[in-house]
Amino acid sequence: MLLAKLREAWICLKAGRVTLPYPFAPHDPAEGFRGKITLDPDLCFGCGGCANVCPAGVIVVNDTGQHTRLLEFFWRRCTYCGRCEEVCPEGAITLSQQFETATDKPEDMYMRLEVFMGPCQRCGRCFTPPTPLERMMLTGFRNGNGGRA
Amino acid sequence: MVTIAQAAANRTVDLVRERVGAMLVAATQPHSDTLRLQVDKRVVRAAAGVLADELGARFMITTGIDRRELGGGFGIVHLFSLDREHLFVLLDCAVAADDEHIDSITPVVPGANWAEREFRDSVGVHPDGHPDPRRLLLADDWPDGVWPLRRDVAYNLQPPPADDMRPPLREPPTGASVVTMGPFFPVLEEPSQWRLFVEGETIVGCDYRGFYNHRGIEKLGDSVLTYNQIPYLAERICGICGFIHSTCYCQAVEKAAGIEVPRRARYIRTLMLELERIHSHLLWLGIAGHIVGFDTLLMQTWRIREPVMWLSEEISGNRKTYGMNTIGGLRRDLSPDLGRKVLDVLEEVERESLAVRDAIVGDGTLMARTKDVGVLTNQTARSVCVVGPPARASGVPIDARVDHPYAAYDEVPVRIAVHQEGDTWARVLVRVEELLESIRLVREALAAMPEGPVLTEVKEEIPPGRVGVSVVEAPRGEAVHMVETGGDNRPYRWRVRAPTYPNLQAMPTMVANNTIADVPIALGSLDPCFSCTERVEAVDVTTRRVTVYTRQDLLRISRSAAVTP
Repeated sequence: MLLAKLREAWICLKAGRVTLPYPFAPHDPAEGFRGKITLDPDLCFGCGGCANVCPAGVIVVNDTGQHTRLLEFFWRRCTYCGRCEEVCPEGAITLSQQFETATDKPEDMYMRLEVFMGPCQRCGRCFTPPTPLERMMLTGFRNGNGGRA
Repeated sequence: MVTIAQAAANRTVDLVRERVGAMLVAATQPHSDTLRLQVDKRVVRAAAGVLADELGARFMITTGIDRRELGGGFGIVHLFSLDREHLFVLLDCAVAADDEHIDSITPVVPGANWAEREFRDSVGVHPDGHPDPRRLLLADDWPDGVWPLRRDVAYNLQPPPADDMRPPLREPPTGASVVTMGPFFPVLEEPSQWRLFVEGETIVGCDYRGFYNHRGIEKLGDSVLTYNQIPYLAERICGICGFIHSTCYCQAVEKAAGIEVPRRARYIRTLMLELERIHSHLLWLGIAGHIVGFDTLLMQTWRIREPVMWLSEEISGNRKTYGMNTIGGLRRDLSPDLGRKVLDVLEEVERESLAVRDAIVGDGTLMARTKDVGVLTNQTARSVCVVGPPARASGVPIDARVDHPYAAYDEVPVRIAVHQEGDTWARVLVRVEELLESIRLVREALAAMPEGPVLTEVKEEIPPGRVGVSVVEAPRGEAVHMVETGGDNRPYRWRVRAPTYPNLQAMPTMVANNTIADVPIALGSLDPCFSCTERVEAVDVTTRRVTVYTRQDLLRISRSAAVTP
């Protein structure tokens, strides 16, 4: 009985203080951590694959007018699974190391991206060309840094 | 060669046919370890009796399925397990849409009590002859006659609240007074209400009301999400056994669709499942100490546990909700460097855990609070169909890793810890032994880890109408997922049973003849897992000021804002 108490005391004494000074000192997550999503607007070509796979349904795609596709990220409901990053053909979405996202303003957790698209000659709606290569060859699209592909 | 499962399946079919004759409509075997008996609903009780009494099958869960849009009525599927024979038995009864009644099997299988009340609440099929037909999971103000798991009820339906909101309470025995514990009670962080019937200090019975945070996860799974989105919802069923539920779901779909998972993925799943058990058992040991007022144990076990959480973050990208599982395998591989790090961390965890074990096994104070407290006899454990450490501490040697091997457990065999006493102390010992066994299993899995891919790409549509049953031994007991595949790239029905579901049903007998002061640790010894999040604390790092957001604040912030899809 006494021996047990002594052993317990020894465990505590040996451990000492282990609490980290976080949040007053930074505590960086491990490499490969899945944090807040970041967007590279130059790479996105509006395929909407991210919206298709998002389990929480935080990505909404709408065509506004003939030339713009609007991608809205209501990421306060984001579950940080990283599926969008996985399926993005252009690497336009990445999950950062940022985890301190707490805010009392929900507007802070909203991003929108307007992508310039080509309208379909027949129906007038925006469309995504089949491949990045074909996209680059079409007129009316921004040229240059059209993705890593 | 006839396997054990095949022989058991043949014997089961023969025996059931002998007892119910032509009422056994069909017997099929969707998988080598799954037998599906379609019986006429009039003989469901007899057939359940044959399985439970004559064959010694253990009841697992019942699934109520609305099959009206497939041209049938309702389906009530009782799931049994023949543990020694590694066989699942589905007892499938068709219930006509205009006659929503079926005989209750609770009189012959006491463990089916909640499961039958649940299908009554969710699909509206009435179990006739049920000994306790009160509402189980629907909220008190949910109107009668709206059955949320019927296919024609929308997932986001918000019916007007019922006028009569009184929860159906059980009358205490004559002469007993009622002491209410919960829904919010200091030592149990999660909501559950226990009405203890006491005579003096001694408990003579109790009544449970729970499901306060019923989230409708199954409904989301078969009406909103797709096959590959559900793993992320599944791992949010429980904050601690997330990987367990996502593995269990993925395995059920993989089995239904006949997808072969790469061997390396099965090994990594085993490794992650055991890491989860290690940190969960350390967490539980701390909580148990906290409940009996021994907070030193809480501080120290949680200190030992933390490196495992950091390790999980490095392997998966997050300390919990790993997001690693997907249909067909895993999304992340384990690098050789991380494999070595796992061994280093576990060596430290093992050394420290042994020190804690050696200290507490001689601690008279802890023993005084746990020995002969909350005794669960072997007989009750079997009849209520208790699972996991509470069952093994009562001398019921069941463990899904051995009985229905999944992942790599067929190649990395488990030595299960069994104690006979059935009290809280025995449950402490079982968990401590399992913790050390898990460390050994991780080492074995790492040593035998094969090279190769971790994901089988699923190129074809998952065919509809298939069924898959999967079990995973969670730290709290066995989790069961059953999937019936459907069109629209989502399951037609996805059924989840977490281990606390059967275990909580053993509480009334466990606390009988104990004192009120023993109730928290008796309940805590089941390692119950409800669900709750209700307040947030925010620290301003510049001023060091702490702000507490209450439930009301959180609701206001999340509801008032217009920025929601």
